[in-house]
Amino acid sequence: MSQVQATIAHHRFELEASEVSRIAARTLPEPLADHYVVVNGRRYPPKQVISLVTGLDRADFTTHQARRVLSRLGFTVGRRSAHAQPAGPGPRREGPHRGLEADLLRPFVAKWVAQRGLEVLVAADGPQEVLAWLERHDQHADAMFLVPRDQGEAEGVAPE
Amino acid sequence: MRLSFKELPGATHDYLRPVVPVLVEGLPRAPQLCLVDTGALHNRFGSWVAEAAGIELEAGATEIIALGGFMTEARTVPVQLRIGDAAWEAPVSFCDPWPPAFHVLGQEGFLRWFEVTIRAAHYTLELTLETG
Repeated sequence: MSQVQATIAHHRFELEASEVSRIAARTLPEPLADHYVVVNGRRYPPKQVISLVTGLDRADFTTHQARRVLSRLGFTVGRRSAHAQPAGPGPRREGPHRGLEADLLRPFVAKWVAQRGLEVLVAADGPQEVLAWLERHDQHADAMFLVPRDQGEAEGVAPE
Repeated sequence: MRLSFKELPGATHDYLRPVVPVLVEGLPRAPQLCLVDTGALHNRFGSWVAEAAGIELEAGATEIIALGGFMTEARTVPVQLRIGDAAWEAPVSFCDPWPPAFHVLGQEGFLRWFEVTIRAAHYTLELTLETG
């Protein structure tokens, strides 16, 4: 993966995408404002990631600086307001959202998620981590569940 | 209230499931996604919910039950549940292990309390709290 040199808050850093991924993997994303960066299939606030990898205080740099550096490293950056768009032209799919919700959940297969609307607030390996995250960040979800790995988990239990 | 089916990703096709988010006493931030199972007699939840919500299970008798191809140990206690503005108390069997992606709402603990209209062709279900 790529490597970039960047000056952030008057400090010079050499950043590697693989190192950013490795460090981010140890931390759950914080609640998103508008901007996000996708690392390891999760959406993080860009300033959280840059703060994690540089040790800088978030007040010392802007979201746009963080986005620019992460984009140069090859990560996808985006805005939530542009995220949950209806599915574009393509095969018509079944379901209340024509497959959009399933597509938004697909990166989180085998993870426990807390969802608000169609958006995944947090995804983690266990339900306790999801609950702790909601508590820590004073967030309320519309629903929490395990995104099923297979048909057995998705079909539920048979009638008694 | 009207709710949409949940779209879950699958390998070859999406799974479209009639589910409702149920608030369990002690877990106000995270409604638990539950499958409306018209063939099930009882509410069945994963046991981690009881542990996280601080629900005491000691008063419930332990039973081994077979569900959907797996055996599990269940303890049943009364629990305060809520969907939107509708609240009720019903027995919930907390099960360990619990492989399904969501919990199950059955006849005695859920359907007895609500009029449920499932419109699978429109991917919606409508709940009305029973009166009287």
